[in-house]
Amino acid sequence: MTATDRSRALPLDPSVAPPGTRNFRDAGGIPADRWHADQNEETLVPTHCCFCGVQCGMYLRVDRGGKVFGVEPRNHDINRMRLCPKGINAYQQVNHPDRLTSPLMRRNRDEEFRPVGWEEALDHTVAEIRRIQGEYGNDAFGLLGGASLYSEKTYLVGKFARVALKTKHVDYNGRLCMVSAAGANKLAFGIDRAGNPFSDILLTDCLLIAGSNVGECFPVMTQYLWGARDRGASLIVVDPRQTAIARTADVHVALKPGTDSAFFNAVLHVIVAEGLTDEAYLAARATGWDEVRRTVADYPPSRSASICGVPEEQIVQVARMFAGAGKAMAWHARGVEHHSQGVENCLTIINLCVATGNIGKPGAGYGTITGQGNGQGGREHGQKSDLLPGGRSISNPEHRRQICEIWGIEESELPPAGTSMMEMVWQMQRAEIRGLIGICNNPFVSLPNYATVKEGYDALQFHAQFDFFLSETAANAHVVFPVTVWAEDEGVMANAEARVVKHNKAQEPPAGVRTDTWVMCELARRLGVGDKFAFPDSRSVFEELRIASAGTVNDYYGITYERLEETGGIAWPCPTTEHPGTPRLFEDGRTYHPDGKIHLQVVEWHPPMDPYSEEYPLSLTTGRTVAHFLSGNQTRRLGALVEQTPRPWVEVHPSHGFRNGDPVRVVTRRGSEVFPALVTEAIRPDTVFVPYHWPVPTAANALTVDALDPRSKIPEYKVCAARVEAAERVDEVPAPPTAPGQLAYPETQVSRTDPLPPTSPQGRGTAERS
Amino acid sequence: MMGRTIFIDPGRCIGCQACVSACRECDSHRGKSMIHLDYPDEGHSVASLPTVCMHCEDPVAPCAEVCPADAILVTADGVVQQADTTRCIGCANCVNACPFGVPKIDLQAKLQMKCNLCYDRTAYGLAPMCATVCPTGALFYGTLDELRAERPGVQVADSFTFGTSTVTTGVAMVVPADKVQWPVPGGLPVVQINGKDVR
Amino acid sequence: MTEPPQTVEPTAPEPEATAPVPDGGAPQTPAAVRRRALLAGTAVSALLILAIVFGSRLLRDFDSALLPYAVATVFLAFGVAHRYTVWVSAPGARRLFRQGWRSFFSAANFRKAPTALPKMIATYLGFQKFLGARSHARWAAHQLLFWGCVLAALITFPLTWGWFTFTSGTGDGPGYEMRIWGFKVLGFDSLNILGWLMFHGLDIAAVLVIAGASFFLWRRMKDRGAVTGQRFAYDLIPLIALVVISVTGLLLTFSSIFLHGGGYEFLAILHMVSVVFTLIYIPFGKFFHIVQRPAAVGMQLFKYTSRRKDGAAEELQACRRCHEPIDTPAYVDNLRGTMRDLKLDFDEWAEYCPRCKRVLRGNAYLTHVKKGFR
Repeated sequence: MTATDRSRALPLDPSVAPPGTRNFRDAGGIPADRWHADQNEETLVPTHCCFCGVQCGMYLRVDRGGKVFGVEPRNHDINRMRLCPKGINAYQQVNHPDRLTSPLMRRNRDEEFRPVGWEEALDHTVAEIRRIQGEYGNDAFGLLGGASLYSEKTYLVGKFARVALKTKHVDYNGRLCMVSAAGANKLAFGIDRAGNPFSDILLTDCLLIAGSNVGECFPVMTQYLWGARDRGASLIVVDPRQTAIARTADVHVALKPGTDSAFFNAVLHVIVAEGLTDEAYLAARATGWDEVRRTVADYPPSRSASICGVPEEQIVQVARMFAGAGKAMAWHARGVEHHSQGVENCLTIINLCVATGNIGKPGAGYGTITGQGNGQGGREHGQKSDLLPGGRSISNPEHRRQICEIWGIEESELPPAGTSMMEMVWQMQRAEIRGLIGICNNPFVSLPNYATVKEGYDALQFHAQFDFFLSETAANAHVVFPVTVWAEDEGVMANAEARVVKHNKAQEPPAGVRTDTWVMCELARRLGVGDKFAFPDSRSVFEELRIASAGTVNDYYGITYERLEETGGIAWPCPTTEHPGTPRLFEDGRTYHPDGKIHLQVVEWHPPMDPYSEEYPLSLTTGRTVAHFLSGNQTRRLGALVEQTPRPWVEVHPSHGFRNGDPVRVVTRRGSEVFPALVTEAIRPDTVFVPYHWPVPTAANALTVDALDPRSKIPEYKVCAARVEAAERVDEVPAPPTAPGQLAYPETQVSRTDPLPPTSPQGRGTAERS
Repeated sequence: MMGRTIFIDPGRCIGCQACVSACRECDSHRGKSMIHLDYPDEGHSVASLPTVCMHCEDPVAPCAEVCPADAILVTADGVVQQADTTRCIGCANCVNACPFGVPKIDLQAKLQMKCNLCYDRTAYGLAPMCATVCPTGALFYGTLDELRAERPGVQVADSFTFGTSTVTTGVAMVVPADKVQWPVPGGLPVVQINGKDVR
Repeated sequence: MTEPPQTVEPTAPEPEATAPVPDGGAPQTPAAVRRRALLAGTAVSALLILAIVFGSRLLRDFDSALLPYAVATVFLAFGVAHRYTVWVSAPGARRLFRQGWRSFFSAANFRKAPTALPKMIATYLGFQKFLGARSHARWAAHQLLFWGCVLAALITFPLTWGWFTFTSGTGDGPGYEMRIWGFKVLGFDSLNILGWLMFHGLDIAAVLVIAGASFFLWRRMKDRGAVTGQRFAYDLIPLIALVVISVTGLLLTFSSIFLHGGGYEFLAILHMVSVVFTLIYIPFGKFFHIVQRPAAVGMQLFKYTSRRKDGAAEELQACRRCHEPIDTPAYVDNLRGTMRDLKLDFDEWAEYCPRCKRVLRGNAYLTHVKKGFR
């Protein structure tokens, strides 16, 4: 050693370099930096992304040993080789060390999980189902599905609930996602899907994006927005925050959360007042226009401007821009849908499009951007509490009869409509539901008012969960079934355009892992209805689904795996195998209501359910960030995404006096949590924002209100009353749960405890990663 | 002048960092991202700026000129490659001399690394990974004609001012039509108020 | 295999002949550099010839069968000295070269950290720790290659120059004497282990080199990272040359032991051709890194000692905007000087960290070019 203390403190090697130039940990550990590509042996398996509703095409790179080791862009016409950071890193889930590879079981929640064999886990689950249903009735056992499952599996979830469990209590996490748009679509058009394909965006003259942070939630869809603008279209963005697309928009309406219907009513008011409506179209194609016109007369810009907190002129400007355009188009997402009047918010936008005649034409139309990969397909085939396959109503006797015939059961055996996901949690609290199986969902992060959710789940006598990583919800269960990730099975999903796309199997599941289909069929067999669940694979389920949807609005009959592989995707309805599918709806001017008309609906604005007060003067709104997906159970384990955005933050306007990184306590009537402040002028002074991908004690949903839209039963995630105050120390993000004896893969979690907010809502810049 | 190259338009960038993740997927530097993504308007807007190597043409590659080990080579078609692994001594001259702040350095490995315009992909006729996946076209790879086919009338500039110097690059940036004949400001000189750097 | 277009080394802009280079450097015209390089090459090869003549006791110990090898080493000496001179004449290298030697010769440095230099030499040149950070397998293979080549060079160069002789009082063994420059160093029995090692040192070296080079060749066939941008002449020829030298060398031994000299003549010529080619190739291709690598020690020593200057041990130059450390002030000054030598007049920019450079450029774009989409 060298002589002096100073020399000892100074290493010979390495030297120094400025920040952001000197570390490569941004690889985030596994597996990318461990896999060196072999020159000779790789196959590219064409498939689609597992994440959002855009459903970008991608190739998975598979090595000689049959393992997925990388991703390659695919020139599919949805995304034209483009991918977002989630999509690029998605493949790393497949051979991730955190994967569950054996069923976990415990008799009660005080015990640790222990790995058990499949037989034991399945037998125990069936015994508990029989016990609970025997003691408390069939409806005391519930089933919750998910919209990231393949359509085949969502079909099975619905059938499993009604035929195997014989319970009315089945619902899915799409209830937290796109049901408001679904409700509005059904009411207005009699069909539940976007009216136009993405490619129509390129043809429009004016594009209205309401309540959608497209740049972060659907990054790849941005190319259509920019493509439209390159061709001269104007862009209007309605969002309380100045998001990436709002930043450069022609008009950014930064309205107060929860005032969307007041805004759109006022826009329609101006359009009516200035004579910009398409009266001929309205007379020929719509009903209810007189009532709507009378209602919007009560929403002059002066009134709505004060409700929404936007300048009056902006309302007029939007009206003229939208109605004055040759072809105009509106797309919306959770920002308008996650409200106690979510359905109505969507209806005001539909009213706007219909009043200006912008429906069912190239470059003119309307759509909702589904959040989950199979958000569209997941709500079509019977895992929703009130629906049967093919979008049939469970309350319609004719529909019930058709399905009972297909399923081979007596109509008396088919349960009636059940309740929505949040209502089921309340029923768990009240011990009306005592047993539950959850498949592909994580309500401990995704449902509002965490305290209620935890209480409800804790009250369950038996809870089983299907998962490939141990989610926060699964970590609270009695039995966990390890199931496949998307790349280990085949199946279809329907994207936001209602285009059905085929996902292909890229590798065999790890030892000990089964497909969701297999597990449901095994449970059904043990419940004595194995003959109705004799499905060896996804294809056989899809064949039944085709038949079950034939003749309905959501007609899949003409779609086959082979056709999907040939075409790259077919939009339903597709009634015959010769039918090209229906990318654009209403081209003949007819809707799916019996009268063929658009049924316009009257909407009156009402304030959000969580009242403002002196104590809670601000609006808390929640949303996503680009590096993470929904409850984060997948993305919080992928090193690159954790490096990009290690933790949640609270976005506040500088007027509150905080500095960047200050610990700020966000308080609502449900609770309080401390986040680092991201101080930015890109948010309204009366609004704060927290992203929701993380669990307690950093969960936005510990603060949100469990108020529901009366029609769609969607929770009001996007607005609740809150206040902010200075705090001592930020709450630390917990590690993602793992099977007993395992640690969340450490190299992916290095920056999780970073106490600072990201530089920008999209994440930390590449030089800010220490 | 401009052949097949990258065109950068920060105005289209949504800061999603797909390019950063995509860069890691390149076989020649698996797991290591060479691209920089900064949020220069922190606290005011979500504006973002992707930075790939600009492949300076005049003066040709300052990074290569200041290299004491002749480790940075420039191909005949103007691509400034990352340091030759056998020569690089890890001195960081290139890191601090690059006017665009591009090269990175692995101090343990005594090795500079930087964007080399995806030689592993362009050699097979593929576009660089970052520009292939960029959801917005903020990074576009192709010829100027191909860019104009997608974005009618778009204008680009390929020279930057740093103080009194002008650097002409192989990679170009999108500029409004009235600023084509005008080098893009490179950030130097820095605006100072009371002797403190601002912006 | 991909063959990217030929790469060229960027040439520094030619300063006007009369312009004095700032900071006291000698005027650098290409012609002057060429002249000096020629001089250095000639001087070094002349010195080597003298060393051979005198080291072999006026050619008494010189083995004329090894003449081609000796000639090749003279060419090698010329090439290396020439290329080295050209190399250290470029501004970046010259300044670091000077700073490195200044640190090396500083008595104060030596007093304060006497072990720094030997340790750096051991880690960077001997054990090449930095290669381990790139890849453990490559480090191991490179160590095999390195020590194999060092061993071979230590044996063969003095032999070809006639500096070593092995003589036997009895004619042909088993008792031998090893002499350097005619002085007896040790005597040994070729039948014992030491003797075996002395006689088979080259075979051991060949085995080490074959193992290392084969790994690298295999990697260059398989690993996409390596295959990318590799050039046959630059990346593969050196490996192939090493393998050919080692294999023919081993076959010579095989031939003399098992085949009673069968094919010896042919093998000897093949071996000689490959060695001569490799030696002459050293100054031009990939092998020049052997000559360059000590610069890493000079650079590291410079950075290390400039950080240890009295009272300012931990002081680093901070970025003017974000105040994060960039490097030592001496290093930044040195870089700015280099940039000025090269007429890169934005050397002030070196006082900002790379991130701030990008952020400032991004801000300038937002302010002066366009804020948004159009």
